[in-house]
Amino acid sequence: MTLVQRGRGGWVTRTALQMGALIVLGVIFAAGCSSKAKEVPGANGANLGETNSNGSSTSLQDLKNGTMGGTGGPLSDIHFGYNTYNIEPQDGSVLKANASWLEGHPNTHVQVEGHCDERGSEEYNMALGAKRAQSAKDYLVTLGIPSERISTISYGKELPLCQDHDDSCWAQNRRDHFVVQQ
Amino acid sequence: MKKPLLPIFFAAIFAAVISVATTAHAQIRMNIVGPNSQLSSIAVSGLKSLSGDDNHQVSGAFVAIVNRDLELSGYFRLISPHAYIEDPQQSGYELGQFNFADWRSINADFLVKGAVTITGQSVQVTAMLYDVAQQRRMMGKNFTGSTADVPRMARRFADAILEATTGQRGPFDSELAFVSTGGGRFKEIYTQTIDGEDLFRRTDNPTINLFPSFDKSARYLLYLSYKSMEPALYLADLKQKVESKITSRHGMVIGGEISPDGQQIAAAVEHGGATNLYLLTRDGSELRALTHTSGINVSPAFSPDGSTLAFTSDRSGSPQIYLMPLAGGEARRITYKGNYNTTPAWSPKGDRIAYQSRTGGRFDIFVIPQAGGDPTEVTDGNGSNESPSWSPDGRYLAFSSTRGGRARIYLLMVQTGKIISALTEGKGNDTCPAWSWWLGD
Repeated sequence: MTLVQRGRGGWVTRTALQMGALIVLGVIFAAGCSSKAKEVPGANGANLGETNSNGSSTSLQDLKNGTMGGTGGPLSDIHFGYNTYNIEPQDGSVLKANASWLEGHPNTHVQVEGHCDERGSEEYNMALGAKRAQSAKDYLVTLGIPSERISTISYGKELPLCQDHDDSCWAQNRRDHFVVQQ
Repeated sequence: MKKPLLPIFFAAIFAAVISVATTAHAQIRMNIVGPNSQLSSIAVSGLKSLSGDDNHQVSGAFVAIVNRDLELSGYFRLISPHAYIEDPQQSGYELGQFNFADWRSINADFLVKGAVTITGQSVQVTAMLYDVAQQRRMMGKNFTGSTADVPRMARRFADAILEATTGQRGPFDSELAFVSTGGGRFKEIYTQTIDGEDLFRRTDNPTINLFPSFDKSARYLLYLSYKSMEPALYLADLKQKVESKITSRHGMVIGGEISPDGQQIAAAVEHGGATNLYLLTRDGSELRALTHTSGINVSPAFSPDGSTLAFTSDRSGSPQIYLMPLAGGEARRITYKGNYNTTPAWSPKGDRIAYQSRTGGRFDIFVIPQAGGDPTEVTDGNGSNESPSWSPDGRYLAFSSTRGGRARIYLLMVQTGKIISALTEGKGNDTCPAWSWWLGD
């Protein structure tokens, strides 16, 4: 079959506040009829992420870098039960250690990432990850870290540390990861 | 007035989709073909070349897509062309120009015949549906366009065959959006036709893109992306290839859906750990807050008339489906079975809601009347079955399933629960399907 002309193009981004400033990217048209999607030349994740100078990286940077981890940096992860966002008793000491490191490095900022295991809907897990990140933020604030130094983000179930489909993997993936930003 | 369509080459076509001498007998339209009856057999003969299709390229493309769509419909058994006795190039396609006995002898209940005329850049296809036993024409269509338009002519004819044989137009002249890792590690948004053609990658940012939803024109696509390293919604104009970023002053946008008329967006916005729903205009201006809890309110889904929103909330202690009138009024819980019900989708008639419910460590798809009541399980417990999206005719659901290992998008017939086919290639993990409305002229 050689009948269908296909095309694809990039989009342009405009924020709601910048409606006037449209820049139109090139529209690439390609002829052909394979069942493969057309890929944009040069589009890949390499070299797009960054790592902070303290070795701490966001899980999304790790995804971009192809390092899939989000474990680096001076602060330790904490973990959660299935579909819960309360701080487990054994993680109190982890959060206290994280808080004292932050007290000793007063010019740093920390982003708390909330993560979920693969079970459940994508969107519900987005909200659950946000709950988990907020729980750690609240705990750090009660330990005296100013809330302005702490931001939160949820990655839902999108960035698992462990790729298997079992209890041990799910337990590792239900986590808060702490990214130190200078 | 309908807006032009997304692949620009479709915009100028189908100036003339003419019903040729359709004798619409009411009794014929009633349940000749039913999902519970034995499958009807159909033969789709090649198109006779009246001029210009000597190598049968147009005929081949047309027949292949009609066959694929009829197969996906779940109503028909296709008779292999190897069994056909008659050569379409040697016989006619009008009533009286061919011999029904040639088709009765291979047990065809229905027969498609037609012709193609190519004049310069113009392709004209005439196609007819015949009832073999009654030796009568049930339906006929003329299509005019370019060679690039032939697949859409075939989809529209397949939809018309379903209308003539089941009384309800088929759903195949439409698009499917979904999320796929495409074999890599980034989740990007793709679109394709239901029958697997015209696969386009619609996003190109190596991060995470989720939750595509179409407006009714299928010109606009809303999705969530982490392309700015934080989640935000993007409303893409698939025709002009531009998009706007939609954020909220209240917090981080983590999901949303565009209204059927394309004028509003329901967005899930997280602040301080609480996620609530907000109604926005299409340019991101806030109209009002829809929920006000300290918990989780996500996965908004507009009713087809735009009057009501279905969503998932944990306000009872577990994720459950609620409906809320957008004119104001209390949210009403409709799911009471199961302790993890989420991702609602309204049927096109507005009478039912499909959603995913946890069964053990997996999910299955259920359908419940919008008034509430007993849910019906429509998947079979094979793999985890998630994110239902209705076909525009309301007979089918697209959903993601891990039944084959990696997640792929599958098609099921709601009335019978029959899993008909995978719809996506499955190169990576395919999730979050969104089935568009019928494409316009």
